[in-house]
Amino acid sequence: MEVIKAKDLVKTYSDNDIEVHAVQHIDLSINEGEFTAIVGPSGCGKTTLLNILGGIDEPTSGSVEIAGTEITELKDNDLIDFRLNNIGYVFQAYNLIPVLTAFENTEFIMLMQKWPKEKRTKRAKELLEKVGLADKLNNRPGKLSGGQQQRVAVARALASKPKFVLADEPTANLDSLATTQLLDIMYNLNQEENITFVFATHDQRVMDRAKRIIKLDDGRIIEDHKVD
Amino acid sequence: MLIKIAWRNIWRNRTRSLVVIGSIVVGVWAILAGTAFMNGFMVSYSADMIEHDISNVQIHNPDFKTDFDINYSINNSEEKVDMISNWEGVLGASSRIISNGMISSPQKAGGVQIRGIDPEKEAIVTGLDSMIIEGAYFEGVKRNPIIIGSKMAKNLKVNVRSKVVLTFTDSNGDVTAGAFRVVGIIKSSSISINELYAFVRKDDISSLLGINREAHEIAVLIDKQYDENIIVSKYKEEYPNDLVETWREIAPELQFMQEMYSSMLYVLMAIIMTALVFGIVNTMLMAVLERTKELGILMAVGMNRIRVFFMIVLETIFISFIGSPIGLLVGAINIYMYSDKGVDLSNYSEGLEAFGYSSFLYPYLEPKVYIIVTIAVFITAIIASLYPAYKAIRLKPVEAIHSI
Repeated sequence: MEVIKAKDLVKTYSDNDIEVHAVQHIDLSINEGEFTAIVGPSGCGKTTLLNILGGIDEPTSGSVEIAGTEITELKDNDLIDFRLNNIGYVFQAYNLIPVLTAFENTEFIMLMQKWPKEKRTKRAKELLEKVGLADKLNNRPGKLSGGQQQRVAVARALASKPKFVLADEPTANLDSLATTQLLDIMYNLNQEENITFVFATHDQRVMDRAKRIIKLDDGRIIEDHKVD
Repeated sequence: MLIKIAWRNIWRNRTRSLVVIGSIVVGVWAILAGTAFMNGFMVSYSADMIEHDISNVQIHNPDFKTDFDINYSINNSEEKVDMISNWEGVLGASSRIISNGMISSPQKAGGVQIRGIDPEKEAIVTGLDSMIIEGAYFEGVKRNPIIIGSKMAKNLKVNVRSKVVLTFTDSNGDVTAGAFRVVGIIKSSSISINELYAFVRKDDISSLLGINREAHEIAVLIDKQYDENIIVSKYKEEYPNDLVETWREIAPELQFMQEMYSSMLYVLMAIIMTALVFGIVNTMLMAVLERTKELGILMAVGMNRIRVFFMIVLETIFISFIGSPIGLLVGAINIYMYSDKGVDLSNYSEGLEAFGYSSFLYPYLEPKVYIIVTIAVFITAIIASLYPAYKAIRLKPVEAIHSI
């Protein structure tokens, strides 16, 4: 089943009257359960494409359809609600809310979705257990290592049961051990629960685990292949 | 959760939040203390004027107020004084014969308002006996004793036992004079008492004026808890032809001053709150700009702009609501400490007395002021939060996430 469908995406920035073509005429389709890596050199448009697919950025032209909803047509507040209910994000710099504990960070998204307390407590604990942080529920981000923070970010991204998870360079700030642990967690979630992951990365370790590689250069897809 | 995040956010930069909270504490304290001091001045000035000079109610022959002619006296004034004195709420009533004239000593002369009084009753109504700073209250000489204010004594260069001559017009329009001996010198915060009035016995002056003992003025002192308008209405029912006025009509400038001082609360509050608004806006703006990335993330993961807006507003309200009660408490304790023992301003007594103020100040604040200030701080907090909150919701997630 198709989760993301992008048609003729173009993103052009204007910088001091010089036009920068970050994304150029990209057509892309991602199905449920994929573990896809968008790869390419720095500045090739990976993050821009990921932001457009996630509804954080607007394309200059083209459209993005997520599970039948054309998000490029949504108004600002509707788009925020759509993101809340359909898309999970994992950012490069963890970006947890520093004043909330690991448990509260995970619970936060469900709270905004107005889940009942019992249900969200149960899910937040389950998710943190899955990412191996059952003993760190009450730790604030400042008291967690980079790898642990990124695992909380994964738990937060999954909390609302999104249609897919977008991860922008999730391993960029992690050491080898933390990277392996994080990738194991995400890979297992993909395998066991059929959760769709789309990464923007230039980390070989992520590429090695990906089941589909989309290679970008100068804002265009130059290669798109599945990995056996 | 929004409340929890907002509350914890204000403690992320403890020093900065404490500085803002401190400024709110000082601001609230300054409003309370400033208002209490101004009120203290006004209340003591009004009380002095009412209790020692004009009294709560005055009764005149209506024509006397117009022409100031000594022939326009109040009929049966003594009967009326006795009657009023027995009314509920009345602390005392005293009749006066009033005539304008000249007072002269061997060295100098000047204008004077001669007040012929019943010493006992006057002592009850104005506490004239308590104002004596030299000599005695109508004691020491049998014939024609006179009491004058300290400033007048200084101007005339006279002391206790000095002789002065009063010159005035009698009931026939003839200029007449009488010699009086100073038995007492008084000092009051009232400029009139110090400089203008000379007090003599009613019997002494009435014979010189050629009038009977009928008075030109009846002054009535009323219990503070009692409504003076009730006395006025009651008297008007009995004697509709007499002119009965409360201190508000007799000295409208006093009421004007009271109203002016009350409005000073709002002026002071507006000035301090405006300064606070800028302080809070500055701090909250810093807090927003420094959290640009975090706010972008919150919006990216699905926190809508209304929630972001309220989060910033809540943070500002929390800061204000920590500072406000502390300021109120400090202010209240401060006012309570000095409300009984008063603040000694005797170093400035000369200047204060020149304007009729007492050199001891008793700060006073109506309870409603605490409520007004609390509401004002709340409104200030909301106003101050609007711009930073607006800046926060104007952030674009994609740009905010990639900010440093």
